Amino acid sequence: MLPITAGVIPFGLVMGTVAANANLSLLQTTVMNFSVFAGASQLATVDLMSKGLPAFVVIATGIIINLRFFLYSAALSVPFKGLPTNIKLSGSYLITDQGYSVTVANEHLLNNKQDKLYFYFGASILMALVWQASVLTGFIFGNFAPTSWSLDYAVPLSFVALVLPTLKNRSYFYVGLLSASLSLLLRSLPFNLGLLVSALTAIALAYLLMKKEQQQ
Amino acid sequence: MIATSYFLSVIFFLSLGTLLIKCSFMLASDKITLSDDLKKLFSYIPAAVLPAIITPMVVFHEGAVELFYGKERFVVLLFATLVSYFTKSMIATVAFGLAALYFLTQLM
Repeated sequence: MLPITAGVIPFGLVMGTVAANANLSLLQTTVMNFSVFAGASQLATVDLMSKGLPAFVVIATGIIINLRFFLYSAALSVPFKGLPTNIKLSGSYLITDQGYSVTVANEHLLNNKQDKLYFYFGASILMALVWQASVLTGFIFGNFAPTSWSLDYAVPLSFVALVLPTLKNRSYFYVGLLSASLSLLLRSLPFNLGLLVSALTAIALAYLLMKKEQQQ
Repeated sequence: MIATSYFLSVIFFLSLGTLLIKCSFMLASDKITLSDDLKKLFSYIPAAVLPAIITPMVVFHEGAVELFYGKERFVVLLFATLVSYFTKSMIATVAFGLAALYFLTQLM
């Protein structure tokens, strides 16, 4: 279990630091941390809020980043079949990149539904605790780290570490490459629309590549 | 300082939207089964979204080093990608990137 929390710690430290540098109060950071509870979108939206972009742009950007939770929700839903809604809701709230990855990676070792649920909840709760503690540490530390350390640069760096393992083959790589190049070309579109258009076009390419693979 | 009303409206809608996405298939699990095609398409979401966030962030950042035409954040990111690929570690990626950027912008 330790290796996965090891991935959460720097991410949480970065989040806390970025929040402190954006002049969020400790209360604001904590409220965001518990209510949104999705690190990548928190990082991006704090950055956009500190630049004063319109609220709907910030919200839309955060939602686009969190679209990947559709994937996790679908993948994790099987052991939750037939359980009460409150368990499903708490399981949903606790979904994280790391909780998803570690559960899917260990699925073959878990023989029944109950084991899978215990494993998922155990991993996710641990993850949530480590996340909150790391953000708090980052927040305190970030308040006195000099700007010459460019700690905000940790945002794109941690996103690289998030996306690389998902590029499973050449198709995923092409989709990522299209997304990156379009975002540069469309950068001057208003309201951060470049992100939306790039992401949707890249998904369309993914769909075409999938269909092509199936025909072969 | 970020205004409280602005902050709260962003947080409220972002939290709601995120929870709805997280709940979507969990709550519907009794009624629907997801096709393999859709699951596969979903697996492309990180590749389709994250590069579009990362790239403008590092390419258009105001740089300070003449040698790289002010694009040191972009250059460092390329190397950090290699570090990330070989180490598969977020800590190593972030630590390398921050140290390399500090070296380029402050010490050179």
